[in-house]
This record gives sequence, structure tokens and C-alpha cells, in this order.
Amino acid sequence: MAPPLLEVKDLHVGYGEVQVLRGVSIDLQDKERIGLFGPNGHGKTTLLKTISGLLRPWKGEIRFAGKVISGKSPRELVEVGIIQVPQGNTLFPRMSVMENLLIGAYADRAWKKRRQGLERVFELFPRLAERKSQLCRTLSGGERQMLAMGVGLMGHGQVLMLDEPTLGLAPKIKDELREAIQQIAATGVPMILVEQDLEFLLALTDRLLLVQEGRIVLEKTHASSEIEHARILEMYFGGLDQAEPDLALGGKIT
Amino acid sequence: MTVQSLEAILLTGLVLGSLYALISTGLSMVWGTLRIFNFAYGSFMTVGAYVAWTIADKSALGAGIWLGVVIAIAVLIALGMLSERILIAPFIKRRDVALIAIITTLAASLFFENGAQILWGPRLKQLPAMVQGNVRFLGTMVDLQDVIVMISAPIVLGLVALFLYRTRLGRAIRAVEQNRDSALLAGVNVPLIYSLTFGFSAGLASVAGVILGITRFITPTMGDAPLLEAFIVVILGGLGSLGGTMVAAYIIALIEATCMTFLGLYWTPVVLFAIMILTLVFKPTGLFGKE
Repeated sequence: MAPPLLEVKDLHVGYGEVQVLRGVSIDLQDKERIGLFGPNGHGKTTLLKTISGLLRPWKGEIRFAGKVISGKSPRELVEVGIIQVPQGNTLFPRMSVMENLLIGAYADRAWKKRRQGLERVFELFPRLAERKSQLCRTLSGGERQMLAMGVGLMGHGQVLMLDEPTLGLAPKIKDELREAIQQIAATGVPMILVEQDLEFLLALTDRLLLVQEGRIVLEKTHASSEIEHARILEMYFGGLDQAEPDLALGGKIT
Repeated sequence: MTVQSLEAILLTGLVLGSLYALISTGLSMVWGTLRIFNFAYGSFMTVGAYVAWTIADKSALGAGIWLGVVIAIAVLIALGMLSERILIAPFIKRRDVALIAIITTLAASLFFENGAQILWGPRLKQLPAMVQGNVRFLGTMVDLQDVIVMISAPIVLGLVALFLYRTRLGRAIRAVEQNRDSALLAGVNVPLIYSLTFGFSAGLASVAGVILGITRFITPTMGDAPLLEAFIVVILGGLGSLGGTMVAAYIIALIEATCMTFLGLYWTPVVLFAIMILTLVFKPTGLFGKE
């Protein structure tokens, strides 16, 4: 097997005194998509924030294409091509749609390709094209989320990390966004996707990781075996205590 | 109220308003982007005025006021960026950076004011006027220099707005002001933006310092009083609004000019600070402030 594109080894991270991640290890192959799921507040977002450089690891290492990248600043990591679309579409409220997108292409590597990027975003989200000069804070929740993804796409990432892109949206808009995510995935860009909807994750990703209490407690490669929705769902909602140990096939308990 | 006094009030208000708009925009840029208050801002005006004087005055280099302005702006941008590196950058990650910045920038202000006293001496200095002569304006004869002051803020701030709204770097400054984390995730070099913002703000301070040096006198503490007025303007205008700051500058200036005419020198500051307190009590976000 080729060395992974992104490799996270024994990551320990926290805020202040509070530790959140307690030894997380994941790897992402080129062109691979992995899904993270699990209860809120157990470290999914913290993991993404550490990979993108917003948080510094207490312990552990992150490598990209073989090189150690943990400890680098978010700016350096964006230049490398690691793009995070943060949760809750936190954009630039007093800027227009167009200005938001241009900020997304701020990094030198992306700035050169900004026209290409705009074309791609407007093709994917025609609604944003219609609202180019509208202020971000006047957009609807769904449009803001589209814009957040657009801003991420403008970065021309080598790895795209989406943090609950459909959180709190109406079902119709959810579907629209999911279709867009599918189209982005079809371009082959490696992805780390955080979602609560398992069906969606199963359809879109190659592997699923369950994050609980700061650890990866289950890793499920569903390419190999028959997908067992029901059992995963049961595990997720029923709690791991009741799950049989042999369910964690191929998973690591750290 | 006679027509003459109305004209005089309007004229004084427009000149003062222009000056306040310049001063408070620089102050508000730093406040909005770095979330700290720069108490060294007044001393930036002072240093800017002295630098311009050194270039312009016949007893010094005698190279003319216009070259003096240009060099003062350049020197102050550099000094501002350096100050940010020393006074703010080492503490920016700390939760109490806003408090630490009060202390470090106050210290810097003392340093610059006393430094100016040592370098240039305590004697009053004045910058030569940029232009001579009078024009008719609003039906009265007006000093041409006052007209220059009146149009300087709209012109300079127009350029600032063009920069902030139309360039890649300017947009990045606004992005950091509106959402620091998202700006980081987009690859914006936030430490550099902080430093540049501080530099630009010091550049604006030097323009204000030159205007003060022409219309009033240059002394080591010349920046203190205008800084207080700018503080009132920024509170009234509210954070994160360039236009709001400008409007508030003219409101405060016109109120000040009116009070000076009818209440006199003694009661004017009382009125201005009362406006500040009322703003903080009833609309802490200011007239045009966001969130």
C-alpha cells in the first residue's frame, strides 16, 4: 500500500486544561474519502481544527505526503493544500458573496487559479452566482452554507475537510448540498467528512470512523464487507457498551 | 443666532470634523482588527508632526512641507509596524491581550513623547502652511489652508476605502476584522495583517499630526487632547464601520464648534464626555456599530 497522503499519529489535543483528543490515529489515502461520526463534543471538530492548524497538538504527529506538518500555522497549511470548511458557516458577514469567495482564494497558490475557482463554484452553486454582490449576512442559512463550501473550494485543496456541512438545514436544501458534495467528491479530491447522517456518509465515503470520548473507537471499511447500517446505527445510538467486541472488526481501540 | 456665527460654526465644524475623521479612522481600524486600544496613537501624531517639521522647516532640512508630509507618512508606517511587533505581537495569543496592550501602548506613548522632547526640545514649533491665500466659501472668506484641511479627510479616507474594498490585501484586513478564524483558514497571514493595520493607522496619525502642526503648534504632548476626542468619536460611531466613524467625527466636531460658540471652552469637554457616557449607557455599540 502506498504511504498515506495524510497521516495522524497518536494525537492528543485540548483547550486550556481540558483534554479532548486522547490518542487519535487516522490515515487518508490519495483519492480516498473518510467519514467521521459520533456524538457531539467528543472531538470530531477538534480533530479537524488540529489538522488545519487552528489548534496545536499537545502530543502526536501529523504528516502530509510524508512530511511532518503538525505545528505549522494555518496559513502554511492552506499553502500546502489542506482546506477546512468550518462548522456553522462562519463567514465574513459584511462582505459580499464575491468578496467572500475571493478571500477563499487568498493563498498564493489559489490566487493564481481564482478565475477557474469562481467558474467552478458558480457552476456548482448557480444561486451564488445570482447573489454575487449581495452581503453575506443577508443570505439564507442554506445559501450561507453553500458559500462556506464555495470559499473552501476556492482554496483548491489537496485535502478537503467538511465539518457538518448540512447541520440545521431544511431537508430540501440538505439534498441540494449533498448533491453538490457528491459532485465535489466525483472530482476525486480526498475528503474528510463529518456528518451525523450515516446513510449519507456510507454512500459517499470509503471508510467510517466513530469518534467517541476523544478516541477512534471503531473503524469500518465498508468496501470489504456488506454494509451493516442497522448494526452501526444500533451501536451509535445504543451505546458501545452493548456492542459485542467482535463488531469492531478491523477497528482499533486505542 | 446671527448668520455670521452660524457660518463660523459650520466652518469650524467642517475643519475639525475632517481632522477628527482622519484621527478616529486610524484608531478604529486598529480597534476593529486587533481588538486592542492603542494609547500610543496620540504620540504617533506627535512624532509624525516632528518628522514633517524636520524635513520641512527652514531651520532644519528645509525641503518643503509636501515632501515633509510624504516622509512623515512613510516613517510613521514603519514605526507603527515596528511598534506592533514589540508592543502587541508578543502578547496577541494571551487572553488578557487587551489589558496588556493598554499598558504597553501607554508606555510607548510616554517613551515617544519624552523622546520627542529630548530630540526636538520643548519649544513650540509650527509647520508652514501648505498653501497661502483666501477663497470665498459659504459666503465668507476662508483661509485656503482650512479648505485643504476640509478636503483632506474625504480624499485620504476615500483612498483608504478604495484600498480596503478593492485590493486583495485590503480585503484581507477586513476579513481578519470580521472573522479571524475563517481568515486564518483561508490562508491569510494574520500576524502580518495586524502589523500592517497598525502601520496604516500610524500613517493616518501622521497626516493628522501634520494638520495639527500647521493649524496649531507642535509640542511633545500635542496628541493627547485630539486622542481623547477621537476616542469619543469612535465610541459614538461604533466599531467596524468606516462610514459610521466619519459621520460621528462630523457630528462631534459640529457639536464641539456649537458649544465653543455658546458655552465656551470650559463647558465643551463636559458636553462631549456626556455624549460619550450617554452612548455607552443607551447604545454601547454606537450609532452605526455592528453586533
